[in-house]
Parts: sequence; structure tokens; C-alpha cells
Amino acid sequence: MHPSLIKLLFIFMTALLGMPAAFADVALPSVDEKYVSVQEINPTRDAGYVVGDVLDRTITLNIKKPYELVKESLPIVGYEHRWKGQISGIELVNITTEEHKHSDSVTHVLHLSYQVFTTSRTAKPAALRGEIIKLRDTGNREVVQYRIPSFNFRVSPLSVYGQVVLKDELSPFHPPLLLDSSKEKRYVQILAGLLGLSLLGLLYILGMHAWLPRMGAPFAKAYRDIRKMPDDTAGIQQAVARVHQSLNKTAGSSVFSNNIEHFLQTKPAFIPMKDDLKQFFDLSRRVFFEPQISIDTNEKPKAWLLTFCRHLRDCERGLNPYAGA
Amino acid sequence: MSDHQLADWRQHALTLETEVNKVVVGQANPVRLITTAIFARGHVLLEGDVGVGKTTLLRAFTRAIGGGYQRIEGTIDLMPNDLVYHTYLGEDGKPHVSPGPLLMSGENLSVFFFNEINRARPQVHSLMLRVMAERTLTAFNKEHYFPHMLVFADRNQVEKEETFDIPSAARDRFMMEIPIVVPTDPDIMESLVFNTRFHDVDALVETIAKDVLQFDQLNTFAAKLQDSISASPTLRKYTLDLWRATRSPTDYGIKVSGVDMKRLVLSGASPRGMAMLLRAARVNAWLNDRDAVLPDDIHAVFHETIAHRVVFSPVYEMRRTEIAREMLSGIVNAIAAP
Repeated sequence: MHPSLIKLLFIFMTALLGMPAAFADVALPSVDEKYVSVQEINPTRDAGYVVGDVLDRTITLNIKKPYELVKESLPIVGYEHRWKGQISGIELVNITTEEHKHSDSVTHVLHLSYQVFTTSRTAKPAALRGEIIKLRDTGNREVVQYRIPSFNFRVSPLSVYGQVVLKDELSPFHPPLLLDSSKEKRYVQILAGLLGLSLLGLLYILGMHAWLPRMGAPFAKAYRDIRKMPDDTAGIQQAVARVHQSLNKTAGSSVFSNNIEHFLQTKPAFIPMKDDLKQFFDLSRRVFFEPQISIDTNEKPKAWLLTFCRHLRDCERGLNPYAGA
Repeated sequence: MSDHQLADWRQHALTLETEVNKVVVGQANPVRLITTAIFARGHVLLEGDVGVGKTTLLRAFTRAIGGGYQRIEGTIDLMPNDLVYHTYLGEDGKPHVSPGPLLMSGENLSVFFFNEINRARPQVHSLMLRVMAERTLTAFNKEHYFPHMLVFADRNQVEKEETFDIPSAARDRFMMEIPIVVPTDPDIMESLVFNTRFHDVDALVETIAKDVLQFDQLNTFAAKLQDSISASPTLRKYTLDLWRATRSPTDYGIKVSGVDMKRLVLSGASPRGMAMLLRAARVNAWLNDRDAVLPDDIHAVFHETIAHRVVFSPVYEMRRTEIAREMLSGIVNAIAAP
């Protein structure tokens, strides 16, 4: 072949091979914003990534007619992106797409996975680049471009060199630093103490001035009162009257010797005390209604009344005073 | 009075009850209450349906305590003089006057039974009022005395036509109003129907021992009995509280269902009524072999001695029996002793 012909062929081949690169580098006009809408689902945090981490983002593009996506313009896996001649170190490792057609538009969902291949001795900024895609007007075949928004984040070193001041060197391997809350804790402790005291006070009031359940019940109170009464005739009268008062309060009406049975029917917890109740009414009769019958001092009525009242208190608390006997 | 005498008389009283209970079955409580009234010397109003044995009961008591028994039927045309005398033309063709029921037994009259007293006119009530209170009557220019007389009256509560309500003043003269109800025990009910022994009242009453008590000694014994049974200060206070509660039940938180308590009571128990209550309670204590009155004795006679004395607003009078029972039960339940 003629040397000049070979030279011409070489020039032609060189021009032909250089065409795609020239086509790619041509700055195309941007598409009118009204034809394209975008939604992004970005990684949940924007800092603390280290070399090897994979960041996933999903871009949903809605392209209205007459434009359509030039699928060849989608980013290519493994492409080394450069910025100002330097490799950015953020590499696309996977891309999947979905396409949903509508009457007047097409929705493209792009699932992009980038892996970090860069690191530094200090945290440094990085970005999932704003990919440029191309759109073609299906009518006049005009090609325009659209730039997907970028996502900025920080890349952290795997380890820290030299003297470390944790406050200055935040790392995902260290727990977050805590604020001093001792003052607030003290306040909480004081307030909890006050609340506890208030609740105890409320419990005491609701429990009819008693610290334990049933402590404020009629016979429990009567037992405490009778213990303080003198062991003489007047004291015995007071004590018997006090037991009568508690009996009436428990029954909700006046209890007499002729309606003990009715009382026991309505308050069966006191059934074990049937004989004692009869004995009590006998004592009451002699104390209040038959003063001519003197009480034998050997009877020790005060001691008997105390025991009787304690047994009634036990019944009031649901216990059987003679259960162990 | 010695304990021995009290015990002797108590034995007689219990025998009296036993004798009466033999012929009037299923009425133990009314029998006890009438015995109480006899020894407390109080007149009795009997309340009950027709044919429940009121007359038999009184005849039985009269036979056992002795003395004269007279009876009159209340009718709308009964006049006061019908109780005192009646006139007639004798065989000799001349007018004669003979004593009426009140005078017939003279001073020995022990039981006067006024059947259906509310059929009689107020003039008759008025006469009875005086006879019951004073046990005297002026007739034929002479004062007649009935020192041993007890009046038992029965009022017909079922029929209201041609009846006259007994005024509260007359009701207050009666110590007790005792309800006589049909026994509910099936055996007793069967006996009353099928046992021919209960069909001939005259023969039945004849079976009772005569003169178990001496009617002319009852007044003296009753007075001594009242002196022998004591009432302690606590019992007195309790009785006064009960009295106040009958006069002003709202002060003691007494409630009766369906009744405006502020409007219910026009007048509570009278002083005479409370005195009669204590007389009856003392007799009850004695019958139970005690020498002091207990609240139980008061309760035993409380309703029967007080219910008929309380005066209610006219709007509540139709429900008197039911309201009085609920109110007095409420009072007993509300007042404590001591």
C-alpha cells in the first residue's frame, strides 16, 4: 500500500476511535427541570466511614415525555472517578435498575453501592459523586444531560497516630462522651425522696391514720386505746364502751346481746368469737346495767378485755385467733 | 318485796303463759306481750285479721287471771250509754234499767274487750278514754270504780267504710298495740284446721286452769314489781336517746325508704308512752329473771309500745304499719348503748 494512503488510513482510524471520548466530554445542555424529578435515599449518617465501608443510595428519577433515559449514560461499575486528576477513592461497586412506565413518564429506580477505598490520618471529606446521565428527546433526537445531586460525607482513619486526646479525636470505636449529670442526679434523688414521703403521707391518710393495712380498723384502734386505759372501775367502763363502739362500727348498726347471731351472719370472720362475745355482753351488762352485781377482782376484766379485743382484731384481719389452739 | 315473792309470782306468770299457749297455739310472742301488759297494768290494742284468735286469746287470759270478762262490739250506731246501761220493758210491763257491759261486773271487772273499736263513734271513744285513764265512771249519780280493769280493743284494719280512726290521744292510752298474725308453722296451721279441739272455743277455754293469778292482787304486786326492778344511768340515757329519736329521727340519721323524713313525724312518743315503755320493759326483765332493765328488755317491747303513739303526716298514715316498723327498727339500729 502507498505510504500516504497508509498515513491517511491511520489518521482516519485515530479519529474514529477518538469519537466516543469526544462525545462523552461534550458539555450538553441541561434538561429543563420540569421534565425530571428526583428522590434520594441516602446513607443515614454522613461521618465515621472507614476504608472498605460500602454506602448504599437509591435514586428515583421520574422522566417525563418526550425525554427518555439514555441507558448507556448510567455510571459503570468499577469506573475510577477522578477529581482534579486525583483518584477520589470512592468506587461504584454495584448498580441495579428498575423501570416503571406510566402514561406520560417513566420512573427509573437506581440502586447504587459505593465502596470507600481511601483513608487518611485524619478525617477527611468525601462524596458520592453527582452522576451525570443523559436524556434524549424522542422527537427531535436532541440529547441533554441531568446531574444527580451528590452526597457528602467524612472518611475517618482506621487508627489514630501519636498522642490521642479523645475529645479531639472522635472515633466510632469509642463510646460517646457523657456530660456531667451529677447535679441533675442529686435533684432527682431529692425529688424522689420528697415524692416518697408524700406517698407515705397519703398512704397514712388513706389508711385512716395507720401505717399497716387494717391497722386503722375499729378493733385495732380499740386495742391500742384500751392498753392505755387505767385498770380500775372507770377504766373498765371506758374499755367496755370502747369495744361496744368498735362492734357497732364494724356491724354498721348497734350490736346487742339479742342480735349477736345476726352480727355473726353478716360478719362471719367473727364466728370463732361467738362464746367470747356472749361473755363480753355479760360483762357489759354487769358494768353498765346491773351495777349491784360487783365484778369479781379475780376475773381481771382489763386483762380479759385486752385479750378479747386482740382476738377481735385478729378476726378483723381475717385470722382465726384460735386456729393454733 | 322479797326475792321469794318475786320468784313466786314469776312462776305464776310463766304458768299463765303455758296455760294460754296450750289453747292459743303459735302465738307465743303475743302471749308474752299480753302477760307483760297484765303485769304492767296497761291496756292493749290488738291488731289482726278476722278469725285469728283474738277473742279466744282474751278469754283464755281472763279465765286464768279470774275476775269479770265483758265484751262489746263496736258499731256505727253504738252510743256511750250502751256501754253503761240498757233499758227494757219487764214482764211486769214496767220499764227496767240494767247495767251495761262496763257496770255488769262491778269492781271485779278484769278484762273489757272492745271488738272493732274503730267502728264506734268518737263519743264512744271519748267515754272509753276516760274509763281507761281513770278507771272510773259516773252513772246513776254514783261513781263506779274498775280498779282491776284492763281494756283490750281490736281495730279492723281491713275495711275503711263506716269506721272512725281512733284519735292519737285515745291511742296513747293503750300501753301496747300487739299484732296477731296467722302462724306460719305448717304443723300449727294444719292443727288449727283439722284438729277438732280448736273448733269449739268454749270447750277449749274450759281446759285452762282457773285463777292461776289473783286479779285483785295484780295492782299491788305490779306496783311493787316496778319498784323492785332497777334502771341504771346508762339505761336511762339510752331510753332518753330512743325517745329523742322518735321525736326527731333525722337528727339520728334515720331513713325510711320512699319517705321524706323531714315531713314524716308530726309528734313522737309522749312522756306517758315512754313511761309505759319502761313499765313494760321492767316486767320483761322480771319475766326473764333479772332485777335490772337491759336494752334487750326495751327492744322486746319497743315496737309494740311506741309504734301506735307516733303521729305521722296524714300523707303517710295509709302506710303507718310499714313505715312505723322501718323507722323504729332504724332507731334501734342507730342508737348505741352504752
